[in-house]
Amino acid sequence: MTEYSRMAKGNYVVSGGSIGVSAPNVKVINLPFKPDYVELINYTAASVMTDDAVPFAYWDASVPPLTISSVNYDTVIQRSTGSALVTDMVQVGGGISVFSAGQALQFGPLYKHNSVASADFSIATSGAGGPTTVTTATNHNLSSGDVIVFEGLFQTSTTGMPQLNNIWFTVTVLTATTFTIPWDTSGSNYTAFNTSTSTGNIGSWKKVLYPYLYFPGVATISAITLGNTTTVSTTDAHNYVVGEEVAFRIPSAWGTVELNALPNTLVPGSPVYGYVVSVTNYNTFVVNINSSAFTPFTVNPTVAQVPGLSYPEVVSVGDVNTGGTLITSGSQLYPPPYYSPIGTVRVDTINGPAIRGSFVNNTSQGFVIGNFGARNDSTAFVGGSDGDVMEWRAYFHDLSLP
Amino acid sequence: MSERLAVAMRQAEDLILRDYIVSAATQINAGAGSNGFNPTNLGIADFSLVATTLDTNNAYKFMSGIEGMDRFGTGPVRSAYFMLSSTELQSDFDALSSVGSLTFLSQWNYPTNASALPSEYGSVGNIRILTSSEAPVARNAVTNNLGVMNDVYYNTVLGKQAITHINQDGYSMNLIYRDPYYSGMLAQNATLAVKFAQAQAITQDTAIRNLLSTRLSNLGV
Repeated sequence: MTEYSRMAKGNYVVSGGSIGVSAPNVKVINLPFKPDYVELINYTAASVMTDDAVPFAYWDASVPPLTISSVNYDTVIQRSTGSALVTDMVQVGGGISVFSAGQALQFGPLYKHNSVASADFSIATSGAGGPTTVTTATNHNLSSGDVIVFEGLFQTSTTGMPQLNNIWFTVTVLTATTFTIPWDTSGSNYTAFNTSTSTGNIGSWKKVLYPYLYFPGVATISAITLGNTTTVSTTDAHNYVVGEEVAFRIPSAWGTVELNALPNTLVPGSPVYGYVVSVTNYNTFVVNINSSAFTPFTVNPTVAQVPGLSYPEVVSVGDVNTGGTLITSGSQLYPPPYYSPIGTVRVDTINGPAIRGSFVNNTSQGFVIGNFGARNDSTAFVGGSDGDVMEWRAYFHDLSLP
Repeated sequence: MSERLAVAMRQAEDLILRDYIVSAATQINAGAGSNGFNPTNLGIADFSLVATTLDTNNAYKFMSGIEGMDRFGTGPVRSAYFMLSSTELQSDFDALSSVGSLTFLSQWNYPTNASALPSEYGSVGNIRILTSSEAPVARNAVTNNLGVMNDVYYNTVLGKQAITHINQDGYSMNLIYRDPYYSGMLAQNATLAVKFAQAQAITQDTAIRNLLSTRLSNLGV
């Protein structure tokens, strides 16, 4: 029997969220197996009886979800009322869930305008420079750092924001029903996408489940600041490091075509590339190309240009060896390569030590602790609140009956 | 079982490389088609554009041309890059309209099939098309202004020097078998597994393009 069973445990300190007020960040636990049973013990919540605290949670893959009012629940929790522990449940996908990130192009549910009221959303045009704010009719259940993609976004058959289609955007969550995407929609060719039901008003969005299976990947450019060095912003995480060699592909509709990696006229057969000289954050970096005299970058193509429109991109070139991941006080002895989905957040991969800047295979599996509230207490979050000490135990059993 | 696992091992290797290319290679949206989506369905000019781009970037072609022969219904084939496409686009290839001297040449119209690969469907200009059911596709990934959805296909066009695959620790992959005596005194469970120790890399990014397209025709079921 011991040949197949797997057991793992660990603990972490919860980041984000406030007890009884807001949800914590979603926590992803990478494992060398996909568990069929997971349990959580929130030591902080267990130590003091506080209203909305969730000290214990359990999830079993073998037990079918319980359906109540057309909603499926699969995570069993014990939550505190301040004076007693009561049992409750959390919706499928928002409590404990497993994942197997092995293939690209996997997406979450489609939130489609005019399908059901709960899936509706609107997008206002931004101020100069962006970002653009998206408002959803009900809780979007996203976390900052998640990546989404839009489709349609036609306000009428000839107006709207279809220029945003198919671009992967990192979201920054403002509230449970609003979030921003890093794109400037203040241009004259964008029209706000609202929730009207007029003919031709078409749009939807969905979450990209595994945006960083392989990184650094191709990234869409949202802004370029010209100068002695060139500052580039992307719509989702670029995952570059200092010293990385990069190439640009900028179709003429977006302006700065001089950055394109065309054959070098001075060195025949050699393309023109840039080197990353500094990384500002997850979606902004600086390259050593003097672009002072280049054409300004623009993000204002017309709606009529959209069929066949290609997007401005930056790609990593080759595998630049910039050295191993640095060891610091308290860090792992052999730090794995990591990606940064937002800000300066660092998400370790399950890989062993590797070269920074080289292409990393991040296919992985494990489980996720979600950020939904409980069925009977929407402000009791299974993932705890900022600073809580959480222990997890995950199992894959030899024998599970029936 | 071991034979099936060996096939799965090779398929897994292909899928890893496929997804890696989807993640890391530059994308061009097809624009020469007529279906109004972004990207559009494939048009002849899209093939020409991508081949020209690779030529300008000094990519190496995979195949030499095939000289014309005195055989009915055949035509010469240019030296070519490979394009890896979905089998679901085969009817779109058949329906491609000729532009100038560029036309779709089905594989059975080659002067000789000696150099054609089993998965080869045909060629357009400087691109020879290989099709597979495992080609990358994002289902219902675009919506046009009529609310109609379409799938997006990643047609990877590549030159000879574009990608490589690196063995690590002195091997690429292992097919592992441990007989049941290793797992316990009762010898109940044997182990059959595969293990990979390899990495993929784009060696020359200017020699590879993902030509994204939608589909013109309906899917058969």
